[in-house]
Amino acid sequence: MNEFFNQFFDFTVMGDHFDEVLDGFFRNLLVFALAGALALAWGLVLALLRQLPSKKFLPVRGITIAYIDVFRAIPILGVILLISGSIPYLEFIPKDIRIPHWFGQPDPYWYGVLALTLVYGAYMAEVYRAGIEAIPRGQIEAARSLGMSHGQAMRHVVVPQAVTKIPAPMLNELISLLKDTTLVGVIALGEALLIAREVQAETFNASAYVLGCAMFLVVCLPAARLVDYLIKRNQTKVARGSHIAV
Amino acid sequence: MLSLQGVHKRFGDLEVLRGVDLDVARGEVVCILGPSGSGKSTLLRCVNLLEPPEEGAIFLEGQDICKGPGSGTGEQSWNLDFVRQRVGMVFQQFNLFPHKSVLENVTMAPRRVLGKSREEADGKAKALLERVGLGDKLSQYPERLSGGQQQRVAIARALAMDPHVMLFDEVTSALDPELVKEVLDVLRELASEGMTMLVVTHELGFAREVGDKVVFMDGGVIVEEGRPADVLDSPQQERTKKFLGLVLER
Repeated sequence: MNEFFNQFFDFTVMGDHFDEVLDGFFRNLLVFALAGALALAWGLVLALLRQLPSKKFLPVRGITIAYIDVFRAIPILGVILLISGSIPYLEFIPKDIRIPHWFGQPDPYWYGVLALTLVYGAYMAEVYRAGIEAIPRGQIEAARSLGMSHGQAMRHVVVPQAVTKIPAPMLNELISLLKDTTLVGVIALGEALLIAREVQAETFNASAYVLGCAMFLVVCLPAARLVDYLIKRNQTKVARGSHIAV
Repeated sequence: MLSLQGVHKRFGDLEVLRGVDLDVARGEVVCILGPSGSGKSTLLRCVNLLEPPEEGAIFLEGQDICKGPGSGTGEQSWNLDFVRQRVGMVFQQFNLFPHKSVLENVTMAPRRVLGKSREEADGKAKALLERVGLGDKLSQYPERLSGGQQQRVAIARALAMDPHVMLFDEVTSALDPELVKEVLDVLRELASEGMTMLVVTHELGFAREVGDKVVFMDGGVIVEEGRPADVLDSPQQERTKKFLGLVLER
């Protein structure tokens, strides 16, 4: 029984490698921070392209919908591998761009950020879309009848209201994104679980894995509670009727 | 001022407007009556191109607004700008912007569309809100206001764009009965100042008192039109008689 316990909770292994794993976890956070910010922006762009009015923009809408569908349907790992396995070898691209080492970050970091942004942009677009479609049609009509363009109506009337309706699903996506940053370990970014894997290979002991996972737990558990709180708060608001734009 | 000629509008297989002709002179108040589904609201929405008509012509100050460079679609932006800077609209459900204060609701379009400075837009908005009796609610948010107050803000918001024609789409239908008067009073005042108005309403008293012309619509066409006293007191058409009978029976 003790052997079993030690396989997962050997505090000597954890203590010896704590700093390395924590360093790795900071890399996860670094990928998360940039990919999260970019995906939030890219997702909004996609959602707005999808909402463009009139027949004129039918091709744009079609391409956007296809993009969102495809990137939601393929594995993130596949996107990471496709990018890291192709861009470095496209020799018509200047070397500084196809093998980037910007701001002291290694190229796997940038491939990971790009892949996660492309995929999570599609997820975020769906979240924004839910928010946008929850805004009554009359809001756009009122804005348009006052002479605002479609873009102005979206920017000043629809989007500011839409984002207040979606913090909970948005946070859910961000939690998933943080966990999915571990996938970038596959292309040799020294993130928490990749470091833990090296420790495991040395010691044949899984405690470093437990340690790595615990670090995610510390961040994600409070975030999950926050999601629940936001959902509950939103429900009471709706119940009180203040959400319904009468 | 405003002239509709043979206006048709379809939603899929459903033909909502089946050839509407209507002339509105400057300063005239035209009240549009009719059962639900008769096309009254759609008619208003055609006039400001929220629903561009498929056939027919709408002349606004001499300009055919349905005929843009692409012709017949009404989607051309020079048309939209031309129309929406001249035509204001107030909706049944108010459609105030809930994330903006009363003052910001009124100033948003003048600032964003006309590019007015904050001072200029604020000054004008305050005067308009004063006029509709809401000078003390500037910093309130719409959800704190009664329906009647919200609707008066919506009217001020439309007036802030200096429209030449105002469209009112059943603006008192969503209000509690005791709040109807305060909104109708604003409409009365506007009419007395010479605003050109198209008013879709079920308030026969208002139509009689304020309207210069009453139009009765049914089935996507104008069944009868004339001076309020003529249409309301001695309707010629069976459909009008039946409708007025049902409304007056209440």
